[in-house]
Amino acid sequence: MNAPLIVSAVDLHRRYGEGDAAVEALDGVTVGFPKGRFTAIMGPSGSGKSTLMHILAGLDRPTAGSVVVDDVELGSLDDKKLTQLRRDKFGFIFQFFNLLPVLSAEENITLPLKIAGKKPEKAWLDELIEAVGLSDRRDHRPSQLSGGQQQRVAVARALLTKPAVVFADEPTGNLDSKAGDEVLQMLRRAADEYGQTVIMVTHDPHAAAVADHIVVLVDGKVVRETPAGEADEVVELMKAVA
Amino acid sequence: MLAVSLKGMAGRKLRTVLTALAVVLGVALIAGTYILTDTIDRQFDQIFAQVRQGVDVSVTPKKVFNSDNNANPPAFAASYVSQVQSVPGVQKASGGIFDNGVILDNKGKKIGGSNGAPNFISSDAPAPFNPFQYVTGHGPTAPGEISIDKYTADKQHWKIGSIVRVGGQGPVQPFKVVGIAKFGKLNGLAGAAIAVMTLDEAQKLTNKVGKLDGIDIQAVKGVKPAALVPRVQRALPANVTVRTGAEQAAKDSSDTKSGLSFLKTILLVFAGVSLFVGAFMIFNSFSITIAQRTRELSMLRTVGASRRQVLGSVLGEALVMGFVASVIGLGIGIGLAKGLKALFKAIGADLPGGSTVLETRTIIVSLIVGTLVTLVASLSPAVRATRIEPIEGVREGAVLPKSRFSRIKTPFGAVTLAIGVGLMCLGLLTGSSGSAVWLPLLFGTVFVFIGTAMFSSRLVKPIASVVGAPMERIGGVSGQLARENATRNTGRTASTAAALMIGLALVTGVTIFAAGIKKSVDSAIDNSVKAGLVVENKDGWTSIPASAGKAISAQVPGVGASSAIRLSQAKVAGVSGTPDVSGVDPATLSSVYQVDWKKGSNATLQRLNGNNVIVSESWAKSKDKKVGQQVNVTTQSGNHATYTIIGTFKNNVHFLGDLAVSNATLARDFKINEDQFVMFGLKPGANADQVKTQASALLAKDFPNAEADTKSGFKKTQTQWIGQITAFFYVLLSLAVIVSLFGIVNTLVLAIYERTRELGLLRAVGMSKRQVRRIVRYESVITALIGAVLGTVLGVFFAVIISRPLAGEGFQLSFPVGTLVILLILAGLAGVLAAITPARRASKLNVLEALAYE
Repeated sequence: MNAPLIVSAVDLHRRYGEGDAAVEALDGVTVGFPKGRFTAIMGPSGSGKSTLMHILAGLDRPTAGSVVVDDVELGSLDDKKLTQLRRDKFGFIFQFFNLLPVLSAEENITLPLKIAGKKPEKAWLDELIEAVGLSDRRDHRPSQLSGGQQQRVAVARALLTKPAVVFADEPTGNLDSKAGDEVLQMLRRAADEYGQTVIMVTHDPHAAAVADHIVVLVDGKVVRETPAGEADEVVELMKAVA
Repeated sequence: MLAVSLKGMAGRKLRTVLTALAVVLGVALIAGTYILTDTIDRQFDQIFAQVRQGVDVSVTPKKVFNSDNNANPPAFAASYVSQVQSVPGVQKASGGIFDNGVILDNKGKKIGGSNGAPNFISSDAPAPFNPFQYVTGHGPTAPGEISIDKYTADKQHWKIGSIVRVGGQGPVQPFKVVGIAKFGKLNGLAGAAIAVMTLDEAQKLTNKVGKLDGIDIQAVKGVKPAALVPRVQRALPANVTVRTGAEQAAKDSSDTKSGLSFLKTILLVFAGVSLFVGAFMIFNSFSITIAQRTRELSMLRTVGASRRQVLGSVLGEALVMGFVASVIGLGIGIGLAKGLKALFKAIGADLPGGSTVLETRTIIVSLIVGTLVTLVASLSPAVRATRIEPIEGVREGAVLPKSRFSRIKTPFGAVTLAIGVGLMCLGLLTGSSGSAVWLPLLFGTVFVFIGTAMFSSRLVKPIASVVGAPMERIGGVSGQLARENATRNTGRTASTAAALMIGLALVTGVTIFAAGIKKSVDSAIDNSVKAGLVVENKDGWTSIPASAGKAISAQVPGVGASSAIRLSQAKVAGVSGTPDVSGVDPATLSSVYQVDWKKGSNATLQRLNGNNVIVSESWAKSKDKKVGQQVNVTTQSGNHATYTIIGTFKNNVHFLGDLAVSNATLARDFKINEDQFVMFGLKPGANADQVKTQASALLAKDFPNAEADTKSGFKKTQTQWIGQITAFFYVLLSLAVIVSLFGIVNTLVLAIYERTRELGLLRAVGMSKRQVRRIVRYESVITALIGAVLGTVLGVFFAVIISRPLAGEGFQLSFPVGTLVILLILAGLAGVLAAITPARRASKLNVLEALAYE
């Protein structure tokens, strides 16, 4: 825990709805994420883990509290600046529907750079595609790829811009265990080999065990921050907090 | 089941409204056309009934045959009145004059302008035939006195004592207003201006001394008008028609109305075009909606709905939408009728008004046509909906099963296209006239459009990659995504573009055709007209007094030899149609006009006298006539003559009509003594503009309906109408284009709805709202340009094929490339316009909701 924090949130609140029907999805979350590390956010359904990730990634705004990413306070940014921030500093991997069906694998990977009007660095692109094992699938459309291959395209896309943070929202939720393992190992290697900060939301203890660090949320509050252990230790941990 | 559909419609408001709008606009134009023309017709019925009030039996000159130049049959002898008076049962008979004339407004111009409502000269009639009721003053009793209709007097601020200049066949003359009159309850005759004078004056002014245009008869009390008709007929020669007053009023009214029936036809054709375009849009909208409702429909099938119920629910939705849209269209049509009237007024044709007439027929036709078009267009999507299986469609990402038809769509489209082209050729090459030409042409055009629309899904990708290339260069990834999106469902893009294609094809066709006519007229004048000055009627088609040309020859220094061309129509024994017959002055023609001889030379003109005739090459060919043969001619004045063909000429833009005789022959057999136009050579050293100025001053004083022009000015006035008609067509075609733009909006809105998650992903990975809007805008422009490119190609094709038969009459094709490029650019801009709302919708998507969207 000696690494400096790249993402930090202070006393985050997020309320949905009004009056009696209001739900406090986040209820005073203060948490930090160290640079170059792989952190898993865990918690049961409705614990607020996805809401936390959306707010950290600038996709949603907190009702109260502040988020600082790479020395930038997100609350001060308008939609345009937030969009730019997502484009330049964040990488995203989602559970479903990660790719545009009309673009090839390679075009999907370079999409964020193209949106920014930049050209990808050829060597780095080749290295990434090699690393995710898609060298012979570059020109395939998503419909011609398996679920695991599609998710690896999403991983490559998230890493290509060398973002400050990669956010992964249940990246293995829709994959079989073998394909899921491959994706998790890639995220692991990104942190180890490139020093890439990764924040992953998951409810799967097996997936969380790959991370360096685990943050556990229950009912919109952080109940535990701990270094990750083996999968069964994580299962025990989840049982303990439940 | 229908309840489910209707709730669905309510839930998709924008889509439903946009789809229905296509029907609303088409139906509004149908209803508006009927209401406008019915209102005009009713007005004419009232006017003519009013004018013939008190007339039991009416005698008019007999029309020898029906022609399209609407020439009045020649007046008959005034002595007929005394013959009528001696018929038993006739109480009173009175002869009168009613003819076209020119009444000048306070600025010295013809009232209503040269293309406006007509000006009439009428003789005063005694009671009980007099239709006028004097508001102030009295009827004319002495030479130099006139009375004026109240409508015109009010408009010109004329009072008793005002001096008004009126002209017939000769110079205009001043008259003093002694009375202002109404026609029963009506202030005027549908905007026409009428000057009433004594019979003597009217005969002099119209060059009909000793002649009459009609006799009004009052029957003795107790004698039925119908019984009197045969008695009067027996007492008179065969060159008159005798009718009861009521019959004559109905005849006058129907003659006037039939002159306007082309208007109804044209407007209904445009309404048909709009509905045809609308049908594409309805088809598209229903196809997409059903594709999106696949899961819902599959679920309904799972819980026990039969195929028949699914079909019924979709058709039921179409029925309700079509009917409601038709009712709204009918309502808008009432307002549109007024708008159409304003449109005609803007191009110089002021139609009579009156209280709005809504016939039952208007309501029935509007509702049935609107509802049927919607039903037919939704039939194919409805049948596809029945092919959705239970359970299957409930799976994630289920797609609508392909119709059995889709496999054979391309060859079927090609076959339809071929049939269409074949029909067009059939109509153009074998049809001789009328419906034998335009029916195959109409169906051929429709087939070509449908065939191209079916076939064009194959063309979407290549065209999109061409028109999308610059956008990819400018817009980067947005441009690429726009192109990919446009080609994702080629069938959908093709039928969306097809709607715009139809409008563009017609606009392009009209543009090229108009440019061709202009070029043909220009070159015909350049090649044939040697005159430096041309005088003709300002309206471009009515004749002018022969004295006008004579006055210029006598009074304008600088003019040289002159030659007049006159015009009439005839019936030729054994052949169809009523060919135009021109009269020329053989001695002087070649000095101002070079005949484009096919067989013959300027020397032939010397023999053009007596019973000799020269005919146009195209008329001779189509009627199988050759030099040396004879033609038996019946003239509009009822004379019969046999002419010998002594030469043929190329009929460049119909300058000399189909047949040409000498002016002496025309006067002898056709009784035509007025000029169609007079051409003047210039004396050496004379300045054309100077001569024109002097001639114009002379005409303005005495012959205000005639105008003088230099050769280049004449070219301009001969082609001016083309621009006006083209503009009129553009306005009406713009309706079809607007409908097709709604179609693009609709397809885009539906596509954005389908791609919600993609848009969410793009926004999440850092695409700005601007870039998202750009994707939608570019896709819209690509779709519009696909339609525009296809439409331009079809339009060129139509113009080329339809103008083929005219090539023999000197029609020259001309491609106004600049205008066509502007049309393409406008189509692209229209795409930008159509994208405004959908693009805003797309950029406003909430990223999180879009990603969670199912």
